Amino acid sequence: MSEHKMIPPNTLLAFGVVGGLVGVYLAYFLSPMNPTFVFFGALGAVCAAVWGADVVRRVASYGLGTGVPSIGMLALGMGIIAVLFGLSLSLGPAGPLVALIVSCVIGAIVGIISVKVVGMTIPIMVSATTQIAGAGALLILGLGIVIAGSLDYAVFVKEVVTTGFIMMIYIAGGMAMLHPHNSNLGPDETQDRLLALSAEKAGIAVVLAGFASVAGMGAVAVTILIGIFIWYIFFGKYYAFVKRDAYKVVDTGMLPTEEEMA
Amino acid sequence: MIDIVGLIAPNILWIIAIIIGGTLISISVHFIPVGGAPAAMAQATGIGTGTVMLAAGAGIAGIIAAGAVMNLNQDISVVLGAAAVGAMVMLAATMIVATWIYAYGVGVMPVSAKVKYDPITKYRQDLYVSQGTEGHGIPTVAYVSACIGGLLGGLGGGLAYYALMKVGTYAYAGVTPLEVGNLNLVAIVATFTIGFFFINSVIPSYNIVGTIEGFHDPKFKKWPKAAVASFLASIPLGIAAVVAVGALALVGGL
Amino acid sequence: MEPLISMGVLALIGAAATIAGASEDLESDVGSQSNANSQVQLAPQMGYIHRIYNKAIAGEPVSNAMMCTIGSTGALVLIKHFGFSPLFALVIGALIAAMVHGSYSVTAIMGREASQARFKQPIYLDLIRSHTPTIMAFAFLTTFSIEVVSYLMVYSLEHPFPFVLLCFLWGVVVGSIGSATGDVHLGAERQFQQQPFGEGLNASQSGNIVRKGEAGLRNGIDNLWFCSKFGGPMTGVSFGMVVFLGTWIIVVFDPAKGVAMGWLSNLLGLVIVIVFGIWNWNIEKTTREKFGPFKEDKGEEAAA
Repeated sequence: MSEHKMIPPNTLLAFGVVGGLVGVYLAYFLSPMNPTFVFFGALGAVCAAVWGADVVRRVASYGLGTGVPSIGMLALGMGIIAVLFGLSLSLGPAGPLVALIVSCVIGAIVGIISVKVVGMTIPIMVSATTQIAGAGALLILGLGIVIAGSLDYAVFVKEVVTTGFIMMIYIAGGMAMLHPHNSNLGPDETQDRLLALSAEKAGIAVVLAGFASVAGMGAVAVTILIGIFIWYIFFGKYYAFVKRDAYKVVDTGMLPTEEEMA
Repeated sequence: MIDIVGLIAPNILWIIAIIIGGTLISISVHFIPVGGAPAAMAQATGIGTGTVMLAAGAGIAGIIAAGAVMNLNQDISVVLGAAAVGAMVMLAATMIVATWIYAYGVGVMPVSAKVKYDPITKYRQDLYVSQGTEGHGIPTVAYVSACIGGLLGGLGGGLAYYALMKVGTYAYAGVTPLEVGNLNLVAIVATFTIGFFFINSVIPSYNIVGTIEGFHDPKFKKWPKAAVASFLASIPLGIAAVVAVGALALVGGL
Repeated sequence: MEPLISMGVLALIGAAATIAGASEDLESDVGSQSNANSQVQLAPQMGYIHRIYNKAIAGEPVSNAMMCTIGSTGALVLIKHFGFSPLFALVIGALIAAMVHGSYSVTAIMGREASQARFKQPIYLDLIRSHTPTIMAFAFLTTFSIEVVSYLMVYSLEHPFPFVLLCFLWGVVVGSIGSATGDVHLGAERQFQQQPFGEGLNASQSGNIVRKGEAGLRNGIDNLWFCSKFGGPMTGVSFGMVVFLGTWIIVVFDPAKGVAMGWLSNLLGLVIVIVFGIWNWNIEKTTREKFGPFKEDKGEEAAA
């Protein structure tokens, strides 16, 4: 497939979990002082999206038989249920961590059921569903705190769920995890190109979450700028990787001739 | 810290209802004729969408109908009937237009490649299959199968929605109960139902692995595995959903 | 609300839904998404290099849900936080959705064709430059129409779901319907126009899509032109029927007036399903008689 060095799965797992949790907790503890600090949640969400995209890449390459979008929808579905459950317990600072753990547990249960009851034969299935559910939960927490300004249950429900913005997080975040593999599908897929695309799509989700934020104009402006910055940097990287990997990038042209195809 | 046991104890019936709903959704996915990508090339019988998304689309139409009706009339039979009918109408409208396109745009007749005679119309099937394909279009047996699937899927989704709304409007001691029209309650219940529906559509799709023509397809016999899987998966999901929705009234200020 | 106003709003919703369905299918035709895309993806592998816009954004239901949700998020923020007038906000929201969808489309075609380097499939930048604005235009239409449907349902017909959630839901439904109906016209007919009319795609012809069109090389806009004659409008009719009929049965027999009325509306829906079933069976019968079988029944001949 590629001669480039692949980033090992455990590095990305650490990046996703640590980056996500640090981002969410920084936003959680700093936002009462100044609401603009919710942007840390957005950065945490980007880390979680990149982690999730790599897990999707690894599990889908075994052949899920049903299409890549389904596992993204599964992950975010579990993430939503787990996050709302975790926040509803009103445990204060322990809320995000409980939400992440509950999401991973539900992911593990669904994975074990898929293997033991439905009979799927993918070797990494349980680990994959656990990780994707965790990444989904961190995405929802990160972008949710950007929009709501806090993780207090009543505020979260009123600002994120009743408005419907949670569906925006669901789909834009889910797409940041499943679009990279789907759009780079082919025998010459490379991991760095895929991860760059995931970060770029997560940047779009950050812009949208920032736009919808109720944490004050400062948070809105800063988060949108960070999102546009992430999008721009990683779109540039992605295009550079595309030019590196493609057979030919031409301005215009006819179909290749017989001699060229041979 | 919310009293989890205090939230679960009075709502055991509704948790069971949610679990039954999840199982029904899972079973319904096996009835819906899914041709997948090959169906769009008239290479396979069924509707040309993926399993998860078609089942989700039908269920979603049902949930929209259930939401609209529950706002007007809280009788359980009316709400569940509306959900079932909503899903069936969506599938019916999709299938009739698909048949128009197959008949007039592509020029093929609806035929199944899995059986020699259609179980319902008794028409001969194998002579009418184009060469190199696995059937095309939506024969009557597939249409009927889809209607049954829509019925069960709508019922399952509607049951989960109704149960969670009931949990949300429960009167806990010393707490003002939320009303059926409370927008926060409806939003969180709808969000949960959608997520729940997606999860219970993906699990049977892992069981089906690709395409299925309906109840006459040999793959249909695999439905118990998915039903058990969804039953087990819905237990933690149902408990989490009931706690989160029930906590809404306790949190107050909504 | 008053039945007369409800019916007027319902008619408007039905019209908007029809436009949404048509533009959704046409957007997936010019960009070759989801079902028919599997053949476009296969073509280079079988040696058929093409100039079709290979856009693969996770399937139409998810992609349409995304653009409708993003559009409605933008619109809702503008209405609530910035005090824009609703119609203006819906338009700006649809514009935001179209731009995001454009970014997804461009990255999709570049990614897919870069991952087919070993099959010598080039990335044609002029294709990207000419097709992406068309794709964005149709995405704008779809998003705006679905926003109109959802907005009227929430604020006029008083549906209790949030505006953004309803847009998401209708986005999934329009994507499923477009994938099931209009994509057949592209996949079975236009994409394989050199095969004889009146049969399904023979598996041996997989990947052999039309690459050289009537005059010049076939591209996505040529496919769009053809499918806009039949597949697109039919998808519009299908989604329009789903939205209109699904809401009409509740307006005609208002469940708020009692359980009996609620059950009458459910029965009316059941009648609609049965009528379509009979129509489907009728088409099945007439096509079998008119088109005839592909093979003779060898078993009967041998017995005779």
